[in-house]
Amino acid sequence: MNREIPKEYLRFNVTERIQHVIMFVTFLLLSFTGWALKYPEIEQSKWWISIWGGPKTAGLIHRAAGITMLLDFAWHCAYLAYSLSTGKMKLRLNTTIIPLPKDITDAIKNILYFLGLSKTKPEFGRFSYIHKFDYWAVFWGMGIIGLSGLFLAFPVTSSYIFPAWSVNWIWEVISIMHSDEALLAIVFILFWHFYNEHLRYNKFPMSMTWITGKIPIEDMKHEHPLEYKLEFGDIEKGK
Amino acid sequence: MKRFFIIAALWVPLLCFANSASAETFTCLACHSAMQGKIRTEGNALIDINVDADRYAKSVHGGFDCVTCHKQFQSNPHESARSGDVPKDIAALAGKISRKAKADPVALAACMQCHGDAYAAWQESVHGKNVMNGKQPDGAVCTDCHGSPHYIVTKDKIASHVNRKNIVKTCGECHEREDIAKRYNLGTQIVERYDESFHGKKYILGHPNAPTCISCHGFHDVKKWDDPKSPVAWENRQGTCGKCHQGATRKFVAAITHKPYGKDNPVPYYFEKALILLLLGVFAFIVGHVILEAFSEIRDKVLKKEKEEHHE
Repeated sequence: MNREIPKEYLRFNVTERIQHVIMFVTFLLLSFTGWALKYPEIEQSKWWISIWGGPKTAGLIHRAAGITMLLDFAWHCAYLAYSLSTGKMKLRLNTTIIPLPKDITDAIKNILYFLGLSKTKPEFGRFSYIHKFDYWAVFWGMGIIGLSGLFLAFPVTSSYIFPAWSVNWIWEVISIMHSDEALLAIVFILFWHFYNEHLRYNKFPMSMTWITGKIPIEDMKHEHPLEYKLEFGDIEKGK
Repeated sequence: MKRFFIIAALWVPLLCFANSASAETFTCLACHSAMQGKIRTEGNALIDINVDADRYAKSVHGGFDCVTCHKQFQSNPHESARSGDVPKDIAALAGKISRKAKADPVALAACMQCHGDAYAAWQESVHGKNVMNGKQPDGAVCTDCHGSPHYIVTKDKIASHVNRKNIVKTCGECHEREDIAKRYNLGTQIVERYDESFHGKKYILGHPNAPTCISCHGFHDVKKWDDPKSPVAWENRQGTCGKCHQGATRKFVAAITHKPYGKDNPVPYYFEKALILLLLGVFAFIVGHVILEAFSEIRDKVLKKEKEEHHE
C-alpha cells in the first residue's frame, strides 16, 4: 500500500458547500426581514424594517428567500436520494448523520466530562451528536417554519386544504408556529452553531471547512477519531 | 335692492380677511381665543369655551363664520342661546342627536349642510342609530372620530384623527373601553387582537397595504356584523376579504374573529403554551451545554498548562 495520510481531508464536496451557503444566506435574510414583524410594537422595529426597504420590500425579500431556502432543501433531499441510490454515499455507522443510540450515550458521557465526573471524552464519528442536532434542526425548521410560511404566503389557497372545523384557530396556530419556531431557530443558530463552528477557541473566528470543504488531518484525528480510523486506520497500522 | 347692499357690505370685511374668517368671526374669537376654562351649558354639559384662533384658521373650516354652524348664536355677544334662526331640517336633526351633543346640538347637526352624504350614511350606521333611536350617550358622532370641527385638517395630514396612521387609535378610543364592550356585548380585546394579527403588525410597521379597521368595517355607515348590510356580515365577507385576497372562500373568511385566546379559543392558547415549553426546554439544553463545554475547555487548557509546567 502506497497510500499516505494527507494533510487535509475533504469533509464536504462542492455541492454540499453550495447548499450550505444558500441555506445560511437565506436564513440570515429571513431572520433579518422577519424580525421586525415579530416585535412591531418596539420603536426600533420601524427603523430596522426601513433598512430592509420598508415593510413591503422586506416582505418580498422574505418570501423570495423563503422559497429559495425551500428549493435548497428540496435540492438537498434529491441530492441525498441520488447519492445513496448510486452508492456515492454509503450508510456506515461511524459516518452517518442518522441519530443512533450511541449519540445519546455520547451526549451523557460528554456532559459528564464537562462536569469533571468523567476523565475521558467520548469518541465521535464523522458527525457527533452536536452536529446531528444541528443538522436535524434544519429539517424540523423546514417542516414547521417552511410549511407554515407557505400557508401564510398563500392564505387563500391554503384555506382550501384546511378542514372546516379548524378555521377558527388554524391561522392563529400557524402564526404562532411560524414566529415562535423562527425565534427558536435563531437562538439555536446563535448558540449552538455559532459556538461550535465559530467561537470555539481553536476555530475562532470560524472553521474554514465551509469554504474549502477540508478539515486539517490533526483536527479530524481529535474531533472525528472514529471516522479517521475508518479512513486511515489501516495506514496507521501499517506504519 | 336693500338685500344686495347688505350682501355687498358683508363682502368688504370678507375681502379684507381673504382666505380667512370674516370680521364677525374675529369678534367671536376676540373673546373665545382669550377665554380659558369650562362652563356648564343649559344641557348640563361641561364644555371648553376656548377656541385656539391660530389652529382654527389653519383648519379646513378656518374660513367659516362661527355662525355657519353655531346658528343659535346670531346676536353678538350672545345673551341667549336661543336667539338664532335655525333651519327646520337642522333643528330636527339637532333634536335627534341632542342626547349625545349636549354642548351645541345645532352646531353638530349643522355638519349636514355640507356633509349631507356622510351624515345620511351615519344615520343608518350602528353609531348613528344608537344615538338617535337608542338615545344613548355613547355611539360616535362626527366629532368623536374627527375631533373638534374647529381643528379638523384633511385626512392626508398626520394631525388628522382619521389619518391612516391614527385611525386604529381613534376607533380604539371607544372600542378599547371595557364598559362599552360590556354594554354592547363586544369583544374587549378587539384592538389588541388586531395589533397581534398579521394585518395589525403590518399596519404598525407602516405597510402601505395593511388593512385598518375601516378597510373591513366601513366608516360613516359602519354596521354591526349581524346586520346584513355590514361588509363583515357572513354573506358579504367573501367580497370584503376578496378586495385584497382574491378568490376568498367561506372557509377563508372565517379566519378573522378578533376573539381573544383562552377559554373561547383553547387550541391556539394551549398550542402556544406547549411551544413556549419546547422553546424553553431547547434553550436550556443548548445554552447549558455551550456554557458547560466552554468552561470545560478553559479548564482543560489550564490543567494542560499546569501539567506542562510540572514537567519542566
